[in-house]
Amino acid sequence: MIEFHNVTKRYESGYQALSNVSLKLGDGQMAFLTGHSGAGKSTLLKIIALIEKPTRGQALLNRINLNNLARHRIPYIRRNIGIIFQDHQLLFDRPVFDNVALPLQIQGYRPQEIAKRTRAALDKVGLLGKEKSLPITLSGGEQQRVGIARAVVHKPMLLLADEPTGNLDPVLSREIMEIFVDFNQVGVTVLVASHDLGLIEELDKPRITLNNGQLILNDLADTDQEATSGWK
Amino acid sequence: MAGSNVRRDRPATSNRISAYLLHHLKSLLFSLDKIYQAPTTTIMTVAVIGITLSLPGGFYLFLKNIDAISGDFRSSSQISLYLDLNISEKQARTLEKQIATTANVASTRFISREASLEEFRQNSGFGKSIDTLSSNPLPHTIIVEPVEADTFTVRNLLNSLQAMPEVEIAKLDTEWLERLYTIIEIAKRSVIIITILFAFAVLLIIGNTIRLDIQNRYQEIIVTKLIGATDAFIRRPFLYGGVWYGLLGGIISWLIVEIGYLAISGPLERLNLLYQSDMNLITFSFHDFIILITSSTLLGLAGSWIAVARHLNQIEPT
Repeated sequence: MIEFHNVTKRYESGYQALSNVSLKLGDGQMAFLTGHSGAGKSTLLKIIALIEKPTRGQALLNRINLNNLARHRIPYIRRNIGIIFQDHQLLFDRPVFDNVALPLQIQGYRPQEIAKRTRAALDKVGLLGKEKSLPITLSGGEQQRVGIARAVVHKPMLLLADEPTGNLDPVLSREIMEIFVDFNQVGVTVLVASHDLGLIEELDKPRITLNNGQLILNDLADTDQEATSGWK
Repeated sequence: MAGSNVRRDRPATSNRISAYLLHHLKSLLFSLDKIYQAPTTTIMTVAVIGITLSLPGGFYLFLKNIDAISGDFRSSSQISLYLDLNISEKQARTLEKQIATTANVASTRFISREASLEEFRQNSGFGKSIDTLSSNPLPHTIIVEPVEADTFTVRNLLNSLQAMPEVEIAKLDTEWLERLYTIIEIAKRSVIIITILFAFAVLLIIGNTIRLDIQNRYQEIIVTKLIGATDAFIRRPFLYGGVWYGLLGGIISWLIVEIGYLAISGPLERLNLLYQSDMNLITFSFHDFIILITSSTLLGLAGSWIAVARHLNQIEPT
């Protein structure tokens, strides 16, 4: 699913966020991305989400080279990814339902299909009763779950989460992580950036650890995996 | 997780087309709702557009009216024949009948010296001084109405009439008409310049409004880009916003001009009475209305397109 070959990212300011990072995350795998803040976790996720481009090296997503992708193709690649942000990134001018339905609207689903899938996604995160609420009226944990519902509503192949439990208490954090594990069990590839080491320990999933932009631990290195044919 | 899996999940093409049209409709309504949600901004923007467009609109109507009036003049170009003072009334009437049968003459009318004097006494306000004159200084007059023809034919007719021995002066009053037409032509070109300038102003107004709108919805644009929205998808509501501004502004400008003309129609009717003319005030025809609305809507679309092209592409998630 994800392949990095000696990826280096240096920002225009001269700051080097990633140095020679190579890794492979196979289809249907789940891994945690850990490291101190500023270690390069977000940059790594941004390269996968096509927000940043590697300065050197190659980043592949389902065998598609992300280094020199034409601008007009980016939206279509992103549709295969569900992204969950630490700060939820919900749209506060519209109810929960509309927030979650957005990816489906973008992809041109019919209204009946949108309603069906949106309710299914909300049900999955336990917010079916809140579809008409405005996000501002929800608690932090609920907002994060709306964000998750929006990230999975279009059944992406890959789920990326950047510190999804950053602002939540331990009980809520565990709930959120378990939702990710559930998705992984139905075949979705999941990569979660987190520094909640205690929780990661409990969940027993492979870990990728960055330190100052360098890969210092990669539980995935010995697992053999084979990427299937690419999209499009 | 294979590629085929993804394709199966995607909506079929026919559904995507209807969903595409549906999204157009949704964007249209969504942008209308945005306008409804921010009435003050909208009213101000739309009012500015309306006032701006009402100026060329008003000028256009003014010219249309002038054109109609001058058109009346054009069709009623007459030749006045002032006869020699020694010609008797009987001779003059014979001459009138003779001219009436000439080629290119539509009709003739005879005004005797006495009738001329009487008319002059009544209308000129010099009644008293005329009474002091020992003899009538006015000649018999024949008004010749040429058939509708080009200037050349009318000029030829004028020359042949002038050549008659009984005719002292033959006068075709076209010079002042030509001057009038030249003035109208200048006014028309000025209106074109004004229209271009004001259309440009509307473009800037709408462009700026949409630019602010884009800035206000920065977060939304980022989020929709991150979940795979194409540029076209993001662009659409803004473009429709511009369309609404243009459309509503056009309607406002139409209202302003109509109300303005209603306001001056009272005095104008009195003027009509004074000049004994049957001139009717022309307002926007349905055709004009459609053109006004269409062009203001297109201006709205163009203005928002410029703003979107300039500002939307700069917004990328970081």
